[in-house]
Amino acid sequence: MGGKCPHRKVKKRRLSHKTDRRSKFLRKGDDAVYEELQKPDAENKPLPVDEDLPGMGQYYCLHCDRYFATVAVRDEHFKTKKHKKRVKQMLGPAPHTQLDADLAAGMGMPDNGPKLMSM
Amino acid sequence: MRLEKCWFCSSTIYPGHGIQFVRNDAKIFRFCRSKCHKNFKMKRNPRKVKWTKAYRRLHGKDMTQDSTFEFERKRNRPERYDRNITENTLKAIKKIDKVRVDREARHHAKRMKGKKAKEQREAAKELEQSIHMVKAPVALQQEPSLTLPKIKVKVSQQQAEENRMEE
Repeated sequence: MGGKCPHRKVKKRRLSHKTDRRSKFLRKGDDAVYEELQKPDAENKPLPVDEDLPGMGQYYCLHCDRYFATVAVRDEHFKTKKHKKRVKQMLGPAPHTQLDADLAAGMGMPDNGPKLMSM
Repeated sequence: MRLEKCWFCSSTIYPGHGIQFVRNDAKIFRFCRSKCHKNFKMKRNPRKVKWTKAYRRLHGKDMTQDSTFEFERKRNRPERYDRNITENTLKAIKKIDKVRVDREARHHAKRMKGKKAKEQREAAKELEQSIHMVKAPVALQQEPSLTLPKIKVKVSQQQAEENRMEE
């Protein structure tokens, strides 16, 4: 998610990839986001106040794992192609995991033995 | 010694090989070689990359359901060492592996059945449709010696093709 680059004249290449590189490790992976979305009532949980984040961490997009300064900016984000694409992707099948890789390699489901403690 | 599977291509990773990446949520991603690691970093989806096992499974290129897949699995429970059991297991591994390889070969043969005939049919069709590219239709009309005399002879598909190639 590169931000706007003010100096670029060429319209198509106006996005700067510098911020993208900087926040690469802070962003969640696809599978983490997918898991978060699968949780019930993930949408209407009150967000914790964090003064380091934009907008005190109150305006958050679950699908894209991004914080926004105001409601207006977030709603604007909801209209973007990037966001819509992301929502569509998250509605699809679950992202690839190590378990999928193991199953594809011809392994069975992991054997964890009998349950020792009943919950 | 635990043999892990590559996150991307599902191949076996022997000790001392490959690289592993631990994400900041403590998830481990193992890769058999730099090829797989790079593909992961490019955020490619293994289900969409044709050379991975995940793709081949999903698209019916490989066997999907087989009883031999039940033997190799991650066992997260301690096993008391028993010499006899170990010996038997080692014997069984060879046998099971042979069975699996045979079944895979059979699956492949089944999948490839009818491919040769299909290719031949397509080649014959292409030849018929685009013979004008090799020889102009006018030239064929002017000189009848170039075209084969129309005699009804029972010939197999392959022979008919060869005749056309000669002209």
